[in-house]
Amino acid sequence: MHVLFKMNMDDANATTENKSLWTTVQVRHSALERNKRCLLAYLYNRMDKIKTLRWEFGSVLPPDVRELLSDTEYDWFSKYSTNLAQYMRSLGEDIGYSGIDLTENLRPPKWLYIEVLCLTDYGKLELEDGDVVMLKKNSRHFLPTSECQTLIRQGVLKQIV
Amino acid sequence: MFIEDIRNDFYNVLLGNRVLLLVHYDVDAICACKILQELFRCDNVSYTLVPVGGLSELKSAYEENNEEVKYVVLVNCGGTVDLVDILQPDEHVVFFVLDSHKPTDICNVYSDGQVRLLYKDEEENIPNFDDIFRDDEDQENEEELEARHGLEALVERRRARKAWEERRHTLMFNYTQFSYYGKPSTSVALELAVRASRCTAAALWCASVAAAAHAALHCRSPARCLLDAEPLHRYVAAAQRKTTDDDVHQAARVVVEKDVWLPLYRWWSVEGAISHAAALAPQLRLHTHSGAARLRQLLADMGFPLQQARQAYRSMDVELRRALLPALEAAAPRQRLPAPARAAFLLQRPHAPTLAALDVVYAIMGLIENESTPRAEGFQHALAALAVGGDGESLQRGVAAARRALEAVARAAHGTLAARAVLLAGPFNYFIVQEGSPEAAALRGPLWLAEAARWVGAAHSHAPRPLLASAPGADGDCLLLGLPPRFDQEPRNLFGAAFEQAATKSGASVSLDFVDSSIISLPVSQRAQFLDALTALLA
Repeated sequence: MHVLFKMNMDDANATTENKSLWTTVQVRHSALERNKRCLLAYLYNRMDKIKTLRWEFGSVLPPDVRELLSDTEYDWFSKYSTNLAQYMRSLGEDIGYSGIDLTENLRPPKWLYIEVLCLTDYGKLELEDGDVVMLKKNSRHFLPTSECQTLIRQGVLKQIV
Repeated sequence: MFIEDIRNDFYNVLLGNRVLLLVHYDVDAICACKILQELFRCDNVSYTLVPVGGLSELKSAYEENNEEVKYVVLVNCGGTVDLVDILQPDEHVVFFVLDSHKPTDICNVYSDGQVRLLYKDEEENIPNFDDIFRDDEDQENEEELEARHGLEALVERRRARKAWEERRHTLMFNYTQFSYYGKPSTSVALELAVRASRCTAAALWCASVAAAAHAALHCRSPARCLLDAEPLHRYVAAAQRKTTDDDVHQAARVVVEKDVWLPLYRWWSVEGAISHAAALAPQLRLHTHSGAARLRQLLADMGFPLQQARQAYRSMDVELRRALLPALEAAAPRQRLPAPARAAFLLQRPHAPTLAALDVVYAIMGLIENESTPRAEGFQHALAALAVGGDGESLQRGVAAARRALEAVARAAHGTLAARAVLLAGPFNYFIVQEGSPEAAALRGPLWLAEAARWVGAAHSHAPRPLLASAPGADGDCLLLGLPPRFDQEPRNLFGAAFEQAATKSGASVSLDFVDSSIISLPVSQRAQFLDALTALLA
């Protein structure tokens, strides 16, 4: 783009003397504008993808994804994360809740408690109200949906219909 | 201690708390567990379900899962042993025991609130508290009084104490001598579901499967089985009255109809079902040369062409299918077979073929004691097989496994009878399934081995004697189980107590791990000396 721009500048300076170069300047300017549009579209799409990353992975990115983002993109990601967390914390403040995690369920869950089968030896899982559940292979549990969602996504638990 | 009101003292106590459910590997326990699961799901009671196979597994499951758990429900395990002693729980943990294995351990009965039994069985003659437990304060009194009243009073007291101890010994001996089964745990669970107004077709179906299991596996005498099933008949009738004519073809329901007592006949051919039915086949003496001829004669009497009888049931002629029940009833007396038809529970579903409770019993047995899948996985499939809706994939797996297992049982029984390998030893007979025979893999578990033993026992029905069966288990151990004579009429088993005493006498390293005390496991090398000790004991 720089090359095009330089050529255009030279020609623009030159046209003050010679009016026949105006069309070339025009064409190059349109080319410059088109390139700028393409680049902006690409950057905007990347920004959108980083937003979905936040909703999918949570506020900590896995390392193989992290190294594909540029520094400025990572900055933008952390600022977006902070914004989102601030917003989620502010929800329900007047009622007394300390905020709702919106990224937990992208679709509303159908049951308050679900039955899950443990597929691997995971170990101890601490629930919100202090109960400790021992997750061993082939043990079935009936737990609140919110506790199980992350583990189901990881593949440790499997929901039994 | 016994619970009087099952809804208030058991169910309402559990609401809002986390529960640990420990379930044994047998058909009745799985059905009861399914009903309890449905109840907990309705009321959002958080639970952890762990299947256990024996006392050591019970202990390890309890130890792993006992953090922050205040209520433990044991289904068909732990009633016959002293729970507080074995599990060493904390003070505040409460155990609810629903066990059909009897006799219940005395310490569980007289526990002061930590172990609660869900129902009081009227048939058990539980000794009184004063006859078993005696305060030891008398010891101190003795020395005090010795100085005061002199020698006579002391001798008198000592004699009274000795008489009391002898009486206690006799009472305990009579109480623990026989091991037997009480009513199915599922009927208690169904009662709870009815009290909590959550008796659905699914709960009725689970209860019917458990009732069929007790009848098919001869856990209770036929008269008692009928008495146990009486509440279930009542609830099924009530449910039928509630549905109007419109609903009949829209929901699944349990009905009671007269049906042929042949396991899996709807999934097999008629000839196959008859030759593998534990009620009919031993009487046909299929292991002899004339057995096959007798079977053909029976089919001819029924009016079934041989080719039709060998076809899969669903592909048979519709007229023959309808005529199966009356034909078999008419033809059975001619071959001196027992009455083949009974009032059985069937599940009628609108868009699927009718299911018989007896078939589901064998399917579940096939799933939990499978040659290829481990028990824990089979347990999950068994729970799925009891579902009323769904596509029945687990049930089909179970039925296929049960067919293979029944074929292996038939082959093993025929092999043993034909080779006259039933050996006499003192007051009982025994036979051994040899390591390396193709049936040994299928007969590794106690349920199928017991089926084979009942087969062999029924073939000797003219001269009934107690029967022991042994099959090779895992790595050098073998399974040994005892069957009483006349198991179909009087299922009280004395082998439980006998095995314990013979184990101490012979010094063999016997593992009394199984919940049913008439099943033990011991190394193959020590089997012979154990059998000798047992012979000496029972002679």
